[in-house]
Amino acid sequence: MSDAQSDNPIYGPFFGVMGAASAIIFSALGAAYGTAKSGTGIAAMSVMRPELIMKSIIPVVMAGIIAIYGLVVAVLIAGALEDPTTYTLYKGFIHLGAGLSVGFSGLAAGFAIGIVGDAGVRGTAQQPRLFVGMILILIFAEVLGLYGLIVAIYLYTK
Amino acid sequence: MANKKGNNGGRTQQQINDSKDYSTFKVVFFYCSLIVFLPVATFFLLKSTVLERFFTMSEVTTNIYSAVGAVVALHLALGLYIYRAYFGGALQTSDTYKKVD
Repeated sequence: MSDAQSDNPIYGPFFGVMGAASAIIFSALGAAYGTAKSGTGIAAMSVMRPELIMKSIIPVVMAGIIAIYGLVVAVLIAGALEDPTTYTLYKGFIHLGAGLSVGFSGLAAGFAIGIVGDAGVRGTAQQPRLFVGMILILIFAEVLGLYGLIVAIYLYTK
Repeated sequence: MANKKGNNGGRTQQQINDSKDYSTFKVVFFYCSLIVFLPVATFFLLKSTVLERFFTMSEVTTNIYSAVGAVVALHLALGLYIYRAYFGGALQTSDTYKKVD
């Protein structure tokens, strides 16, 4: 009884819940920053070149994808949460680590997408050949969030 | 008279611009909703179908396959949007330039 109590403490699920929450909170924070920062760039650019709207929405879409990464991991962790009697402390730590890895990677990627999107969209209005370069830089920024997702899923399988 | 003519021309130009904006909005809205809803739908669809078909799989494995499938579907939709923006956008720009000339 005492052993089971120490293996499955009552506060075990706390870590899992914090993992699920931090996954979506930090990813959404990064996505919001990316959307807002590149949104100001789009608004400034569209005044002179409204025909480029479709091309310039891409940074906003990529920032939104960061939030979907966080959503996927948060749903995975939330689905694995159980009663404290069956949920070990180890599982809680794993889930906290998974949530933090995708959350902070998403935050970093969102910051990068926001700054690159703002400057890239303004630059594309003046030199359309910059578009390919902007897309490549955005993909490299996006991949940072994907790395966090891969680590989170790998941790989740432990 | 001339003023009336100019007014009519302005109206038609305005209508052309409005219809162009509307068609751009339709395309962007379609792709954005695809990117938002496709991964979510893929995740839950894959989860239920994989669970039904391969019932021997553990829940963790099913979740992982559905998550990977959702992310792959998401990137396919994003690639489709970038392709459309790159090639469709170029066509639109040349059209606009033609009309200005």
